[in-house]
Amino acid sequence: MKQFYTHLVEIESIIIRLDKMVLSKEEKLHLAHLIDSSLHHTILDAILSQLSDQDKRMFMTHLTEDNHDKFWKFLNEKVVGIEDKIKNAAETLKKELEKDLKEAGRLR
Amino acid sequence: MKFTSKKPHFEHLRKKWTARQRAAKDSFWASHGDSLRQLALGSLGGLMLLSHPNQQLPAPNFTVSRDDILKGYDQNVLLAEQLQDKMPKDVKSLDPLEEKDILDILNKNFGFKVTAKISNIRLNRNYGLIGGEQHLYRYPGDNIYTQTDNAVDWAKYGEAGMAPGLGAWGYFAPSKQELTEKDKLREKYYLAIQTFLVPGYAEDVNRLRDFFKFRKMLVVNPKTGQAVVAVIGDAGPGEFTGKHLGGSPEVMDMLGLADGPRKGPVLYFFIDDPSDEIPLGPVKVKNQA
Repeated sequence: MKQFYTHLVEIESIIIRLDKMVLSKEEKLHLAHLIDSSLHHTILDAILSQLSDQDKRMFMTHLTEDNHDKFWKFLNEKVVGIEDKIKNAAETLKKELEKDLKEAGRLR
Repeated sequence: MKFTSKKPHFEHLRKKWTARQRAAKDSFWASHGDSLRQLALGSLGGLMLLSHPNQQLPAPNFTVSRDDILKGYDQNVLLAEQLQDKMPKDVKSLDPLEEKDILDILNKNFGFKVTAKISNIRLNRNYGLIGGEQHLYRYPGDNIYTQTDNAVDWAKYGEAGMAPGLGAWGYFAPSKQELTEKDKLREKYYLAIQTFLVPGYAEDVNRLRDFFKFRKMLVVNPKTGQAVVAVIGDAGPGEFTGKHLGGSPEVMDMLGLADGPRKGPVLYFFIDDPSDEIPLGPVKVKNQA
């Protein structure tokens, strides 16, 4: 499923590393859910940390409506450099995941 | 987790990433829980979207869900019940009466125009065996990793791999930069249809090729009622395969046919949508059906 931040967050490097490992479909799915969920909460945390309680309500309304244009217009008005903040939060998580993948690679 | 694994690399990642996911969740709720709980009563849907990244709530008026296929199955099972008595026992071409009865049911259930004929053009059949296809190259240099929007997509659809050749109409876009959301959805929800078996095809290739290019279709698994709106993105499969059409990995998943032999009988009809208003992806029956 495409998220509102999909165009900002590139996880290709993680997927390529995972794809090289011998994993069953169930194992892939399990790990994939953990990646997506961690990324989702990390990014939402980065966004909500910049918003007032009132703006959090608007944020949720736009999120439910699934109108990405409206959503981004709102976020850009409320938070200066929100895209960079999302990218940075995702990059930090990605580095941790890559470190875990390197460790796992040595166990094969 | 409903399975066991003895692979040390998997176990290492599972433990590490479970801990990371818990930490991310805990930190999120610790920081924003109070304000979000106050909002929960007014916007339960928003709260669900915050908690479950791979969940998409149904669109308010067109009742389309792009990801929650289990939800689609539950509601569309009513359609399967209605179709049960009208389906032929064997997977064969529908006779005119069967076709009419089935089309009436589909039109009533989906609320958009489903038809076996547009501009006097019909397929060779509308009930047949669908088989799983591979992903298609969308632009020069495309690969399996760039086709996934998230990790779950990769886990579910990545192993189907890329078809060695291009689709019947070549690339979906000239380059990665020019690839639009519409192009992405067309590849994601594409069908391979035996257009070459359409009566009169050889005599009218140019007109029929244009007609079939990305023609929108409704595909229904009559056993479960699961349904998907897709486009014709390729020609095939060959007659020797014993199959009558092919579906992208995503189409097969939405029809409930992604596991096991990756094939099964489906109904497939044109959607008359000249204004291009019907979104591609899984589709639910209307509430009153």
